Amino acid sequence: MEVSRLPTGARPAPVVTAGSEVARRRRRPSGEPPPLPREAPGGTRWYAAAVALTLALEIAMAIPAPRRWLTAVDDVVLRALATVRTGWLTSVLRAVGHLAYADPTRVLAWATIAVLLLTRHFRQLLSYLAMLLLVAVSAAGLALLLGRMRPTAVSMLAPWRGYAHPSVPVAVFAAVVGGAVYTAVPTGHRHRLAAGVATTAIAAVALARLYLGIDHPTDVLAALGIGGALPILGYRLLCPHEAFPVRYRRGRTAHLELSAARTAAILEALDRQLGIRATAVAACGLDASAGSTPLRIRRADGSAVFGKLYALNHLRSDRSYKFARMMLYGRLEDEKPFATVRRLVEYEDHMLRLLRDAGLPVPAPLGIVEITPEREYVVVMDFVAGAKDLGARPATVPEIDAALAIVQRLWHAGVAHRDIKPSNLLVRDDRVWLIDVAFAALRPTPWRQAVDLANMMLSLALASDAALVYQRAVRIFAPDDVGEAFAASRSVTIPTQLRARLRADGRDLLVRFRELAPARPPVPIQVWSVRRMAGSLALLVAVALAGSALYGYARVAGLL
Amino acid sequence: MRWVRLVLGVLAGIPLLAGCSAVAATAPRCGDTERLGLVAQTVPSAGYVPCVAGLAAGWRSSGFTAQNGSTRFDLVSDRAPGYPVTVALRPSCGSTAGATPIPPRTPGGRTYLTLASIDPRYAGTMYDQFPGGCVSYRFDFARGPHIALMAQLAAAVGFVPRAQLRLRLRALLGVDPG
Repeated sequence: MEVSRLPTGARPAPVVTAGSEVARRRRRPSGEPPPLPREAPGGTRWYAAAVALTLALEIAMAIPAPRRWLTAVDDVVLRALATVRTGWLTSVLRAVGHLAYADPTRVLAWATIAVLLLTRHFRQLLSYLAMLLLVAVSAAGLALLLGRMRPTAVSMLAPWRGYAHPSVPVAVFAAVVGGAVYTAVPTGHRHRLAAGVATTAIAAVALARLYLGIDHPTDVLAALGIGGALPILGYRLLCPHEAFPVRYRRGRTAHLELSAARTAAILEALDRQLGIRATAVAACGLDASAGSTPLRIRRADGSAVFGKLYALNHLRSDRSYKFARMMLYGRLEDEKPFATVRRLVEYEDHMLRLLRDAGLPVPAPLGIVEITPEREYVVVMDFVAGAKDLGARPATVPEIDAALAIVQRLWHAGVAHRDIKPSNLLVRDDRVWLIDVAFAALRPTPWRQAVDLANMMLSLALASDAALVYQRAVRIFAPDDVGEAFAASRSVTIPTQLRARLRADGRDLLVRFRELAPARPPVPIQVWSVRRMAGSLALLVAVALAGSALYGYARVAGLL
Repeated sequence: MRWVRLVLGVLAGIPLLAGCSAVAATAPRCGDTERLGLVAQTVPSAGYVPCVAGLAAGWRSSGFTAQNGSTRFDLVSDRAPGYPVTVALRPSCGSTAGATPIPPRTPGGRTYLTLASIDPRYAGTMYDQFPGGCVSYRFDFARGPHIALMAQLAAAVGFVPRAQLRLRLRALLGVDPG
């Protein structure tokens, strides 16, 4: 009888039994929405409609017949408003109208810029500046293009300047106030309150200018479209709150908020895509993670799995981080940014599987779930229950040996982890697990593999003693390998967390290891690529131009 | 997502280009009825509204500013770089004592000239005074080309009677600036 055999090394397909995890997995049929559909925030369609109407109004104003008709309608409204003119109301509305004059608006704009700068909300700051410029230039440009007179139906009761349509002061005031709320006030109750105050202020200014007879109603409507609706659409594209939340508390800003909708979507995705029935999702270890939002996922049976939520903001952080490293240190190696979030999670899942297959003690990979296509994914893996970070307590000799064996296995597998630090080494019962393999590289440069050994030894020495770690290391590594490891080590090759702990520790462990290991000249690691040189030159030119550009910007945007 | 950004970038670029013209705001030509209406609104008492009748080769206008109480703009000749002629419409000329009367440029009006210097530069102010308003021209020309430049300046600025402008505005928009 012929017996079919699996090819050597192949894994048998999982047995599908009713109620098993595999049986519960299901393909999302065409047309069915993903767990967390990408939906425009509430009101976006209304803002888009307002911008479209503004565009239509501007076209109408450029054609003589509709312009004459619109002017007639404007005059009717202004005459009606003039019937309620009284002395005290005029005084009050003159004061309200002053809000839109240049000085108060400039003060608010500069205050917002200062807050965003000091609180390091750079993306919001750039978006705010871009929107102010867009509004100021659009409104002033259209006013010159259309060349409309001021109202003639009623007497004008306040100072005015320039062509009437669109109302440049109302547009700029709306952009400054609305932008301040969107970019500088955190979402939630305070944001709603601030938005209400801003809307009231803008409406009051608009109404005051109509009452005082210095703007036509259509001037104000166009200004609200340009200064109110258009920037909101811009902010929602450039710095949406979901991806770039405004926060003033300390901590990393890269983490996504686990809203009720997102939590429900993760639970649904785990069930449908991986067959994992989970009951709760909570963020964990946020301080040690900058590139993703780590999640502890509780299963229905009480056990836990670990997930790393990746989204567009993490992808952008990865890009800017790698660009900054290239500028500062040169292209250390393979630091090309990922093109999409999907590629990012695919890479991490692939590295987990590769390291597992190479016999490395990594959390078992469980797969990837899609939350929002091309925007949010979770890489799921086993949770190492009961484990602590290396250094939470003094390291034992078996732990030191196990940790050093990890580096040996990495070398045998031709992989560099590139981020070996205490928080990426979990310890339990004399066993050590290696986690966070997102930076790992296959077939790296020799010095990078050597640096993994140095970082591992430094991490271990923090939890024990340099001499002991060296003594255990030379049992499995040649002394020359250890010498090479510390010859290649310098501050840029040591992860930030490890560097901070070394500083806090007080012992100069790097020097101590160099004393213990055979002497070796430093290994050169800097690479001067054309890209780096061109990038550095471009950066210098950009800095040189920034001053004059800033001055020009402030003039055009009306901030001076 | 990229095409959305591209579209937004293009949309943002259009007003930015328009903004270049914002920096160089030009004075209205005598045929620009509604723009002249705005100038008329700045000094409601003025019987005449100044406008650009025609610029000789090498001249351009810039820095047009209209606000309640006055209108100002510059006329610049490439033969007097860095020395724009500042034209201003105000309700009155102030004191013209000591100014030299020259042939009037508006029916029923008077024109004066005051010179601050003749040599090495021909500099001073010319005034067109008419009922309810005054247009001043502050100039500073190098001696030599100043005769031609003064003639070109005088030809560059024209006047539309307010009554005629009211008729034109009523026909165009059905409005009356008063």
